[in-house]
Amino acid sequence: MKLRIMNKVSTLTLHNLNKAKGQYISFGVFICLTAFIINIALVLAFQTFNAYDSLFDKLDTADINFIIPQIQDNEDLLTEMEGIDGVSFVEKHGGVFMPVTVREFAGSDFDMNTVFYNLDEERTLNLIDVTEYSGKSEASVYIPMYMKELGGFAEGGSIAYSIDGKEHTYDIGGIVLEMQYGNYGTGLIGGYFPEAVYEDFAREYSEHVIAEYSLKTTGVANLNEMKNTISEMLREKGIALLSINDKDTAKQTRTMVCTLLIVIFLALAAIILVVSIFLSNFRIRSAIEGELAQMGVLKAVGYTSNLIIAGAVMPYMLVGIAATVMGIALSYAVLPSVAGILAIQSGFSYTPDFDIMALLIVILTLTCAILLFSYISAGKIHRLEPINAIRGITGDESAGQNILLFIVSFGIMVLLSFAGTLLYNVNVKPDNFMNTLSEELPSVIFTAEDGKMTELKELLENDSRVRLVLEYASVPVSYEGGSLTAFVCEDFSKTTNDICYEGKSPVKDNEIAIGNPISDGFPIGSEIELTVGSQSTYYIVTGYIQSVNNAGAVCQLTSEGYEKIGGTTNSVNVYLYDKNADEFINEYEENYDSIMKSSVNFEQMSENGRMMYAGIVSVIVVILFVISVLMVLLVMYVIINSMISRRRQEFGIYKAIGYTNRQLTVKTALEFIPVVAVVSIISVIAGLWYLPAINSIIFSLIGAVKNHFEVSVWILIVFAMMFTAVAFVISVLLSAPIKKITAYSLLKE
Amino acid sequence: MDKQTVISAKHLKKAFGKGESMQVIYSDLNIDIYKGDFTVIMGSSGAGKSTLMYSLSGMDKPDGGEIFFDGTDITKLNNDKLAVFRRKQCGFVFQQIYLVDKMNLMDNVITAGVLTSKDREDIKNRAKELFSLVNIPESTWRKTSSQISGGEAQRAGIVRAVINSPNVLFADEPTGALNSANAGAVLDVFTSLHRKGQSIVMVTHDKKSALRGNRIIYIKDGKIFGECDLGKFEQDDTERTEKLDKFIKEMGW
Repeated sequence: MKLRIMNKVSTLTLHNLNKAKGQYISFGVFICLTAFIINIALVLAFQTFNAYDSLFDKLDTADINFIIPQIQDNEDLLTEMEGIDGVSFVEKHGGVFMPVTVREFAGSDFDMNTVFYNLDEERTLNLIDVTEYSGKSEASVYIPMYMKELGGFAEGGSIAYSIDGKEHTYDIGGIVLEMQYGNYGTGLIGGYFPEAVYEDFAREYSEHVIAEYSLKTTGVANLNEMKNTISEMLREKGIALLSINDKDTAKQTRTMVCTLLIVIFLALAAIILVVSIFLSNFRIRSAIEGELAQMGVLKAVGYTSNLIIAGAVMPYMLVGIAATVMGIALSYAVLPSVAGILAIQSGFSYTPDFDIMALLIVILTLTCAILLFSYISAGKIHRLEPINAIRGITGDESAGQNILLFIVSFGIMVLLSFAGTLLYNVNVKPDNFMNTLSEELPSVIFTAEDGKMTELKELLENDSRVRLVLEYASVPVSYEGGSLTAFVCEDFSKTTNDICYEGKSPVKDNEIAIGNPISDGFPIGSEIELTVGSQSTYYIVTGYIQSVNNAGAVCQLTSEGYEKIGGTTNSVNVYLYDKNADEFINEYEENYDSIMKSSVNFEQMSENGRMMYAGIVSVIVVILFVISVLMVLLVMYVIINSMISRRRQEFGIYKAIGYTNRQLTVKTALEFIPVVAVVSIISVIAGLWYLPAINSIIFSLIGAVKNHFEVSVWILIVFAMMFTAVAFVISVLLSAPIKKITAYSLLKE
Repeated sequence: MDKQTVISAKHLKKAFGKGESMQVIYSDLNIDIYKGDFTVIMGSSGAGKSTLMYSLSGMDKPDGGEIFFDGTDITKLNNDKLAVFRRKQCGFVFQQIYLVDKMNLMDNVITAGVLTSKDREDIKNRAKELFSLVNIPESTWRKTSSQISGGEAQRAGIVRAVINSPNVLFADEPTGALNSANAGAVLDVFTSLHRKGQSIVMVTHDKKSALRGNRIIYIKDGKIFGECDLGKFEQDDTERTEKLDKFIKEMGW
């Protein structure tokens, strides 16, 4: 029985496939593209985080690492750390910790806190995977993969560090894969010297020698709480905590772009899938309308509605499944490259494997979507009376060509507008992008010598090159739920980046604004107790702030507020009118050495960060552009092709009365322009509303609840005009088959 | 010998439109179609000839009344059951032919054949026999409708209509779109099928076509206005021609 049904359906299926090959190919291309993108997103989602965890386990990376000055270290500390509830193993490593400037990092200077380790030190935690350069010299440094991927350094080359004004150049002996730090976002970078080089280096910078404690836990869920305990213990002992980080924060930071990419890819795939479904819907409805009499004849000879529907749906299913498999296969060809791009930001690489789960999800999702929507589209056949069909009476309106064009054009304009906005905010207005991912973006950060803060501030305020001087510092504090990074500022109304997304930043000394992840327990108006050392004070929550750093566990305090728990800060953010931070720092370091402890070229650091994201964003934007053009091409092909076959007689008549091919081609192409132009205008207006919403959704996924993206109406207008022009040109090109229609052939038909 | 009734329609009602624009086609029409007859339905334009034929064949549902086709009241069948009924009991030949374009003649026939037979080879063999019967050479079987003449296309349409050995073959103005040479060839096929025992119901307003039938029914004002038994068709039978002329004159045509 089933075989007989298949026999009946296969006859119609093969016929349908044969008569509209081009239409099915275009549908197949869409589905192939959808499967391609979804599979990339799913494989990345399933494997990147697992690959990260596997590598983390393989290299026996510690759950928490903290750094203290070696001079303050003592034998008892190790035992005490081992005694902390939830700690299973503690290992101590030596190192040299200091701010360094890496020369020629992706073409410019790069400032970063760096820990230099002894490559040959025996260790069981925080192992490293070294790819050694065979021709390495004696004076070699081994650099993390991040420095290679983003900084452009390679095995066999050399790297120059500027430390305390002194230049050090080393040959690069190899690349280190480690899971402890990894990238700019984690706040620390490693450097690894062979033992002899390390010992010389440690001797030279003995005041920067540190002890690093690496803690393995028994699977503690709240590492923040443990970090808080450690901070408390060290504070009580008067030991300076130079840095503390945990595996969750590092993972979130290093996989941030991957998360962003997955979200964008899935959104993109959803748009293409919707377009494909509308396209198949349009095609099926057009086919029903164009072949009404034939449908009637099929019903007359005894085909049931379900058999005819099956014959209409089956080609889409077959093409859909084949295209899905092809898309999945193609995705595996580019996945290694995508993983390579991600390595630029994540600082670790892996080769994506075949993923059966992703394959099943993609095939099931697309097959069900195609089956469901093509069945719904073909459902009209049920209502078709055979005699009415033969007489050309459908009882329904037209196939909705303009509705399809409107919806698809709008979808494409959403993609283009998003791509344009992304490009604009990363390349033209980079501060918008950086402000979304950072807190403040000063030009320079100066740290004053103890007691010299006022003098330094006065000096800077009187400098005509300085636009703003603001006391600002990031300090660790703790609360009942763990540790927080507190941004302490003399006046938040003067900050250049308002990271407060709800309520307001603190103004008084008893006020605080807290990060999104801890906002649940502390509504605005409630109190939160902060502790620094042995002092604790309650603050009233005035607002919520965002940060992609420290997993969003941050807060804002006024300088007076911080003083209430015994804290003091001595760093200032300096905002310059012009971009000449390097020269500015050099001048101050030369002339005011006595009042300045250290300086950070934040302008350079921001630029480095921006460059990293700009590279990734450029790839995303190019993908979006290519997909948009492809979508316009395929959609116009389906619409124009259906239209030409429906209106053959009309075109024949036009030719008979003297219209030229050129006139008809342009006339046809112009018919689509009103819809495309209306969509373009609506998109520009609507874009001002929906783009901020889209940006909000995407960035909130990585912790940036409030984004600073500007939606430039000019960019939207330029893209709308480009879209209209491209649609017209494509329409003219695709209308070429009109040339083949002759008045005579129609008479013959 | 009494004729065997294959279709019996009682008190048929059919109207198009609603309210003031409603056009009643027939309000209480009764008709029987007999097995082995070549029944021709004639009448002026808009008399409801085609509407009646499509009601009798289950292609269209009457607004009221009963149609017993081989004992089954087809007015009670749903759309899917009607489709199954049609594939087993009816064959259709249309004025505009409606071969599925881009499908060759053989495939057009097979598309109908697979509905009742699971053996494709059987269908092909039967199609070949029928193509020979209607004088379509093998070289044409793989051509599409746009590559052949109207007469050939209509004869292929007849092959498609009879591939499932229908109880009744229905034809709606089968020569309406053909020139006289092609029309003659198509009518010869109908005569040939009738001689082999095929029951045929044909709607036409063409006298030459009507002459092929043995029973002429004239529809007027929604009723069977008259009926004429022409007897067996013979070529150049002037007596039959005169009889038909007289009949249609009486009907006021």
